[in-house]
Amino acid sequence: VNLEMTIAISGLGAIPNAPMFQPTAQNQSSAGASFAENLFDVMRQAESTAIAGINGQIPMQDAVLKVMEAERTFAAAMAIKDKAVNAYLELSRMQI
Amino acid sequence: MDPLRFSGEIAFSALQAQSLRMKAVAQNIANAESTGNTPGADPYRRKTVMFQSELERLGIGGGQVKTEVQDDLSAFRLEYNPSHKAADAKGYVKMPNVNMVVEMADMRQSLRSYDANLQVIRQGRSMANGLIELLKSNG
Repeated sequence: VNLEMTIAISGLGAIPNAPMFQPTAQNQSSAGASFAENLFDVMRQAESTAIAGINGQIPMQDAVLKVMEAERTFAAAMAIKDKAVNAYLELSRMQI
Repeated sequence: MDPLRFSGEIAFSALQAQSLRMKAVAQNIANAESTGNTPGADPYRRKTVMFQSELERLGIGGGQVKTEVQDDLSAFRLEYNPSHKAADAKGYVKMPNVNMVVEMADMRQSLRSYDANLQVIRQGRSMANGLIELLKSNG
């Protein structure tokens, strides 16, 4: 996921001859990377919490909460990634 | 913090609080007949869970529920049973101050509250999902 998203978002910034993306190329890729990193952190935390919850080390409610939060974050991130990829495809299909 | 996520956290804290209450009920019912071991000793004392709103920890709006386990200080039941180990000089044994009807009512109430909070979580989730769906649709 990390890789995919970084490519998707930094790829947007790297389109040559696409003036609308040029000025923010640098920002785009670093924002994309930290975004993906943040998402990864959330997923990792959710995973370890879920395991602790299954083992009964922490209340099951805590584990479910963390997993649900991760699920939501992931869904939102995926939606944003799809948007970015779609925008890229839209541009690549454009007749010049 | 995102209010929807926040409401989820509050509801989850309530789920935990109700679980704790359920635990107290289980403890009370299991020990409804637990007496002391020495003559005239106090038997098991009924546990109750006190709920408090926690306003400080999460900043503005707070509202998670905090729990505290307390002893029920009401009087013990006396039962005449001279042969019992915990019987006093007159032959009376102190029995726990657990009332089965009260425990059943408490259990039912805890279930209802748990369900209500689950519903809050479900609703918040569907609201958040609706928002994400909006992001997915084209045009």
